Amino acid sequence: MSAVALLGLAGVYVLALDYTPVEARQGLAQKIFYLHVPAAWCALLAFSLVGIASALYLWLHDARLDRFAASSAEVGVAFGAVMLTTGPIWAKPIWGTWWTWDARLTLTLFLFFLFVGYLALRAAVHDPGERARFSAVVGILGLLLVPFIHLSVYLFRTLHPQPIVLKPSAPSLPPEMLRTLLVSTLVFTVLYVGLVSVRYGLALVEEAAEESDNGV
Amino acid sequence: MGSDVPQNGGYLIAAYVIAPVILVGYLVSLWRRLSAVGRRR
Amino acid sequence: MPESLRLALAIAEKDIRAELRSRTALLSAVVFAALVLVVFNFARDPTVLPAIDLAPSVLWVTFALAAIVALNRAFNVEREHGALDGLLLAPVPRGALFGGKLLANLAFVGTVEAVTLPLFVLFFNVDLGSALPGIVGVTVLATVGFVSVGTIFSAMAVRTRFAELMLPVLLLPFMVPPLVGAVQVTSRLLAGRPLSEMLGWLRLLALYDVVFVTLCTMAFAAVVDE
Repeated sequence: MSAVALLGLAGVYVLALDYTPVEARQGLAQKIFYLHVPAAWCALLAFSLVGIASALYLWLHDARLDRFAASSAEVGVAFGAVMLTTGPIWAKPIWGTWWTWDARLTLTLFLFFLFVGYLALRAAVHDPGERARFSAVVGILGLLLVPFIHLSVYLFRTLHPQPIVLKPSAPSLPPEMLRTLLVSTLVFTVLYVGLVSVRYGLALVEEAAEESDNGV
Repeated sequence: MGSDVPQNGGYLIAAYVIAPVILVGYLVSLWRRLSAVGRRR
Repeated sequence: MPESLRLALAIAEKDIRAELRSRTALLSAVVFAALVLVVFNFARDPTVLPAIDLAPSVLWVTFALAAIVALNRAFNVEREHGALDGLLLAPVPRGALFGGKLLANLAFVGTVEAVTLPLFVLFFNVDLGSALPGIVGVTVLATVGFVSVGTIFSAMAVRTRFAELMLPVLLLPFMVPPLVGAVQVTSRLLAGRPLSEMLGWLRLLALYDVVFVTLCTMAFAAVVDE
């Protein structure tokens, strides 16, 4: 499935680069948008699913939920990395600065830290039951942290008006751009599902190997 | 009119290269981990 | 309800007494806080940057770092004495257990903050004046927030190999909303701004406390039980 998604990604590339018009004010770099936004969406999706799976795990104690949460977290890190690299690369030519503490970037940065903390904790705990429980707690707490980060950034922004910057996303997108964006988002989501399935499969295989090791 | 457009194609290339490197790299790492477990058994 | 509360207070009292006997967590945190303040003082150029602009951030970064040191030491001391296992065997409701730990940690961190604040006033020549009750208030609000999350995370971290590293890695993202709110309110208090300018942040702090204390109380069982 991932191979299909990767082919889809190649298709997106063609679309983004050839089909959509070059945005007059921002030039070619604006097209990074077609990668950055879907990646951000996938990272957010991955994270929300980790949180939901964590909550369900603490309620139902189904190991599959824990395995899924771990897989989603790892894949989320990958998408988060894409977003955190394409973001500044996009920002530099458009806004003139590599970084800005706006809501989206700040939130993703925090998601990234939370993912990393989650995975670090999993790596540091050996007992599978304990690992599942601890990660689930972090997953839920993390999910609930997100609205507070959002609120903090919002309060900060309304009190500290931003300097006048070039607004990168026009409120109304021409249809070609919108279509490309949607296709790209779809492809990225398929890629997310594919990567999570592969990672989940890996988790199953690793667990089976560990059990047979212990059985010997 | 074409001359008004900022020449920032370099950034585009950078982003479009880095993104698949990360994603494909991750997928490759997953496959390698899978085969590593397979070899151990 | 009162039964749980009494249990929590009893647990807290036991922890506080143990700490008062050894004093390791308290002293290391206080010394650490003083060091941080001294470094901040030497790190800036007083002619370029007036103290009052930087003061709230300095104060809160110091509080945050000292809290992490205190939390780490507190759980380590307990792990060395194996006190937690005994408590777990008894049918103590886990919420009360968390409450007790939280109160004890609040007492530790609160003491560190109470000692650090005068040092801060001294080193930075800040005029607290009428802002003092407000500063105490916002300190309580923010501290409850990050100590509650810190308590549950230190309970987890202590069971991992790299406990001293794991706690900050997990905790720091969670400290950001209370810290940001606290710095915003503190700077407005020091500048003598009216209450209306701080309400948004105060509400954020209060909401954070309610949400996370509740959540951590409920989640504590998952951390300490099999």
